[in-house]
Amino acid sequence: MEKKNKYIFLVIGIAVGVVLTLAAVTFFGSSSDDVHLGEEVGHTDEAGEEHSDGEHSEEELVALSDTEINELGIRIDKVGSKKLQMHTDLTGEIVPDPDKLAHIVPRFAGVVKSVYKEIGDRVKKDEVIAVIESNESLVTYEVKSSIDGVVLDLHMTPGELIGDDKHIVTVANLSSVWAELNVYQKDLNRIKLGQSAQIYFNDIENAVNGKIFYISPTVDEHTRTATARVRLNNSSGYWKPGMFITGKVLTDFVEVDQAVTLNAIQNFEGQKVVFVKDGESFRPQPVTIGKTNTNYAEVLTGLNAGQTYIAEGAFVIKSELLKESFGGDDDH
Amino acid sequence: MNRIIDFALKNRLLISVLAIVVFAGGYFSYKNLPIDAFPDVSPSLVQVFTVTEGLAPEEVEKYVTFPIETSMNGLPNLENIRSVSNFGLSVVNIYFEDGTDIYFARQVVNERLQEAREQIPEGFGDPQMGPISTGMGLVLFYYLDDTTGKYSLTELRTIQDWIIKYQLQTVPGVTEVLGIGGWEKQFHVVVNPNALLRYDIAVNDLVDIIKKNNLNVGASFIEKDAEEFLVRSVGLATKIEDLENIVIKSEDGTPIYLDQVANIEIGGAVRRGLQTRNGIEEVISGQVIKLFGTNSSTVISDVEKKMEEINKTLPEGIEIVPYYEQKSLVEAAVNTVTNALLQGITLVAIVLILFMGSIRPSIVVAVSIPFSVLFAFIGMEYFGISINLMSFGGLAIAIGMMVDGSIVLVENVDRLKRESSPDENFIHIVAKASKEVLRPIIFSIIIIITVFIPLFTLQGVEGKTFRPLAYTIALAMLGSLIFAMLLAPVYSSFLLKKKRKKTNGDKQKENLIIRLLLKIYNPVIKFFVKNRIAAVVLGVIIIIAGIFLYPRLGSEFTPQLQEGTLIVKITMAPSISLNESKKTTMLIEKRIKEIPEVDETITRIGRGEVGAHTDPINSAESFIVFKDESMWRSGITLEKLESDIREKIEGFPGILVNFTQPIQMSVDELLEGVKAELAVKLFGEDLKSLKSNAEKIAGVLRTVRGAEDLQIDQVTGKPQLKITVDRHAIARYGLNLADVQQVIKTAIGGETSGQIFEGIRRFDIFVRLAPEYRNNKAVIKELLISTPTGMEVPLSQVADIEEIEGPRQITREQNQRFITIQCNVVGRDIGGFVEEAQQEIDAKVNLPVGYYTTWGGQYKLQQEANKRFAIVIPITLLIVFFLLYSSFNSMKNTLLIFINIPLALVGGIIALWLTDQNLSVPASVGFIALFGIALQNGMVLVTYLNQLLREGIPIDEASIEGAKLRLRPVLMTALTTMLGLMPLLIATGTGSEVQRPLATVVIGGLFTSTILTLIVLPALYKWFPVKVRTGEM
Repeated sequence: MEKKNKYIFLVIGIAVGVVLTLAAVTFFGSSSDDVHLGEEVGHTDEAGEEHSDGEHSEEELVALSDTEINELGIRIDKVGSKKLQMHTDLTGEIVPDPDKLAHIVPRFAGVVKSVYKEIGDRVKKDEVIAVIESNESLVTYEVKSSIDGVVLDLHMTPGELIGDDKHIVTVANLSSVWAELNVYQKDLNRIKLGQSAQIYFNDIENAVNGKIFYISPTVDEHTRTATARVRLNNSSGYWKPGMFITGKVLTDFVEVDQAVTLNAIQNFEGQKVVFVKDGESFRPQPVTIGKTNTNYAEVLTGLNAGQTYIAEGAFVIKSELLKESFGGDDDH
Repeated sequence: MNRIIDFALKNRLLISVLAIVVFAGGYFSYKNLPIDAFPDVSPSLVQVFTVTEGLAPEEVEKYVTFPIETSMNGLPNLENIRSVSNFGLSVVNIYFEDGTDIYFARQVVNERLQEAREQIPEGFGDPQMGPISTGMGLVLFYYLDDTTGKYSLTELRTIQDWIIKYQLQTVPGVTEVLGIGGWEKQFHVVVNPNALLRYDIAVNDLVDIIKKNNLNVGASFIEKDAEEFLVRSVGLATKIEDLENIVIKSEDGTPIYLDQVANIEIGGAVRRGLQTRNGIEEVISGQVIKLFGTNSSTVISDVEKKMEEINKTLPEGIEIVPYYEQKSLVEAAVNTVTNALLQGITLVAIVLILFMGSIRPSIVVAVSIPFSVLFAFIGMEYFGISINLMSFGGLAIAIGMMVDGSIVLVENVDRLKRESSPDENFIHIVAKASKEVLRPIIFSIIIIITVFIPLFTLQGVEGKTFRPLAYTIALAMLGSLIFAMLLAPVYSSFLLKKKRKKTNGDKQKENLIIRLLLKIYNPVIKFFVKNRIAAVVLGVIIIIAGIFLYPRLGSEFTPQLQEGTLIVKITMAPSISLNESKKTTMLIEKRIKEIPEVDETITRIGRGEVGAHTDPINSAESFIVFKDESMWRSGITLEKLESDIREKIEGFPGILVNFTQPIQMSVDELLEGVKAELAVKLFGEDLKSLKSNAEKIAGVLRTVRGAEDLQIDQVTGKPQLKITVDRHAIARYGLNLADVQQVIKTAIGGETSGQIFEGIRRFDIFVRLAPEYRNNKAVIKELLISTPTGMEVPLSQVADIEEIEGPRQITREQNQRFITIQCNVVGRDIGGFVEEAQQEIDAKVNLPVGYYTTWGGQYKLQQEANKRFAIVIPITLLIVFFLLYSSFNSMKNTLLIFINIPLALVGGIIALWLTDQNLSVPASVGFIALFGIALQNGMVLVTYLNQLLREGIPIDEASIEGAKLRLRPVLMTALTTMLGLMPLLIATGTGSEVQRPLATVVIGGLFTSTILTLIVLPALYKWFPVKVRTGEM
């Protein structure tokens, strides 16, 4: 071969080598070079961009169309004045009214001759309940009821010897009874005389209203509870002493100028916010909360009366604003 | 080498029998091979699940996850341990090195689990290993359709759990059936705290009392005369009345029954997930998981058969309705490649007949296809490769190449036959012709097999995806080599013989097409041989074109395999409640349902029975079931539907939407790792401090040039009601901390107190306060706690109750909590970025003691892959070079043939560019394949040119004549390979998207390299001739 050919041969050899190496490196180097964040992350970013626009404009806004509001079951309301009733639930039991409770003690010890009434019988005032023969005089005398009422307790049978130191009959007039409510220390400052209370057994539908007419001046040393009493009319006999009941005491009743539904208040970025209408959109408005009951809350600062806010379904708006943050860790 | 031919021709019967053995063996292997849709890319992994009812992430981590994790340290072949502690659930993923036997891994994990169980406090759950399956294991989903509408969700769930599940689990190959949706039946003891107060009983006492009144015991036996009587006492509660009549206390001889303090009713267990359908109802659903290594199709058909049987036994009006099964996907995928295979075979046969001009030689060549394929099946069974899209795809790709060896051989036999005198012994002609080409055939096939070596070094998902393809190609090529060496000469000697008598060695007998092509080719080749510089210029132009086009190609990772089923993954706020989650999901379902092509949407929210999914309740996955394609509006495609759905729900407030597919989703869940290019993992102990330091790091990263899409893991966001017991306060009342906490647990969270048996069905007895006494902060404050002195004290007097934001879940890796900061790097070298970022962070962020970062992400994997390729590819090329060299014994020849490689690569690039495709992993695989395929043409040609030169023909004339004479085999081998791939190029079926780039590259590359083989190579041959020696080569 001539030198010239060798030269060409060399050049081509080098060229081939270089191209091959380059090709190999670039193909396999770059085929996966531009892998971007996976689909999920990708979307997150889209969403993030949308929002970052919002963030950069001074407020975070969420626009909702009327159809969407309908679809999502969002309820919109206006901030306005509300009468807030505040309640405290207390447990307790029904006791007979002591003023209408007669513990009848025999005047003389003796032998029971006859008994005319049984537990649960109604008795009139001065009606004879039993006849006893006195041990001292051996004459019989009548034991009479001192009040109208029901026999609650009766400890005698004919032939039984009874003393004069214990009551043998308890008669109670249950046309009115007391609901004795246990007041824990923490509730003491809220429970006051004259407050009305709904007393109920099992379900609040059948509650009966009464007023607190007495609060014990001391706290029981065992239970550390005070006692509040509510007088209940019981002409129907619905309330039976010993019954366990709950009293829903209306502890406060205030009219506040600015109230929102309790569900309107959301925890958002460490603050309590209400979503208010701003133009066509909604934005989170930090608020401070005053008095609350089970449905409504008083707003002390942050809102003005008449402002439109989301009363139900605010969670969706909050999610929309937090959206960019919750796709992050999907690795299981 | 020549002896092989002699041996084959001498023992033609033996060889034929051997062939029959291979055919039969291949067929049986085929029957035995498991069939899957895709290669399984799941990692070698054992999952350990622990359900811990009611515990928050922090406690789950402390009491459950940590002991499990630590007990797993130091296992053999262990790669990594990752864990997620969620509300009520701990999941520890124990990753083993790829290729670890799954039963071995489970065994070693199980041994250590015994230790872990001892460390986990009593009542905090029992760790269980997940099903013996992989990400491909979820083969069938179904829901229960109740047409009567009179069954409650609890009743339906009971049918699922106690009838359907049990029967389906008996189907061979089913490892687990997981139920979700509805309510698991429980006997609820709904306690009224006021009643407890009245009778002075603590809620915890109830739990014990119920347990004590629900027992059967055995008391051995008594002997009576000659007989034995077993003694047993029966006292198990079987119905609500039995529970109601449990005496909890006796007051002055008056018994107080359980029903005086509690309502006992049938209710649903606490649930962390549910399933909805079409936005209108909740349904009960089940997922069938197949056993690792079983045949999906068989398992699914067996399950379907069983379902039909079960349907007959179910109550009137209830039916099992499958809404997803992998079988259709498997069939579709296998169909795609089978079609490609068949079309390929047809096309190849047509080319053979056209070019050979007669049927007989075509038959000899064509038989090499079934032979090679069946040979590959035997190999697949040996290596344990399933039939799937990729392994079958490998065969489809190889179709055209399988015949090449035989073509060259048969063509040579045919040619020699025509040239030889009629008297010559035909066997001798065959032997001579075979020997002439045997060497290049063997080398070219070995080279093709060799170039697939780099594919075996692929790691991770790509490795698992493409290795089966490399295996089957290599196996099929090996088969074709055996065929060409042994069978092709034998069959030629049988089949070509007769024909010889009629062909009188007349050169004019070349068939019409060849003559036509020669007419065009003749002036072209003459021109280029005369003007060599023109050939060089042509080559250079093409290479420049390639260099110019290359940067214009987009790039992507492996194209996603289309499974034909769409899942819309919905992520909601982490603080969401299950009810709100259900409401949102059903609204979205309604929206999707508005698209007319959508038949059904079935959505899983959160998780059901543990074993497959661990999603929290803010995550929902909506299966979209489309109507039959015949009912679609015209012009609607799956992509169009996807974008329609996206449009429908994209604007839905408060959710994130992703599209995925069933297998993709479950595999993604199992894979570890980050999807971004760069991931900084910050390890440390304290969640708050992790979070704040991660933010600092992110802040620094943001300032480094090139950082984009920066993201920090969100670790918090789940609200908690934190009850902190005041130790001084409880001291005043003489309470222990545990007394208070037990009340909190039982009263609010509830406690299981034994079970009720209905036959073999068992249902928990669950004691808990009535909802109105525990469902908000205000009433929880009022929870009463009995003190030793007999008084009751409300919880708020002894504990602080506050609402805080807690972790949504705690993820750990390598026994440490961590948080990931991830980003992509744009517009600069990622290595430089990492270096700069690391320096900046070291300088600006002062990490607390014990905190450290690791830098990883996709870039690391790619760097590793590139590093591997940077070594493996040159080595492969070197091997190929040596193979070529030892074939030709000439450095110049070898280099000349090597020129084909860059020219072929350029063809691949041009083809990608023309078809608007990106550089992707399958395209790279195509380029690798080109290394081998492109050389084949050159080898055939150069071999012959050398031969002519040795015969003393001047070099120019030899170049022209040789090229002309070799036009037929070169075109044939190139065309068969190209046409064999053509079906993959135009296929649209399931899985075609992965193979299209590969086929495109190979076809394109082959096109340019063939043209160049025919034009440039003969032209340049003058500069690279072999040294002419006298005598044999």
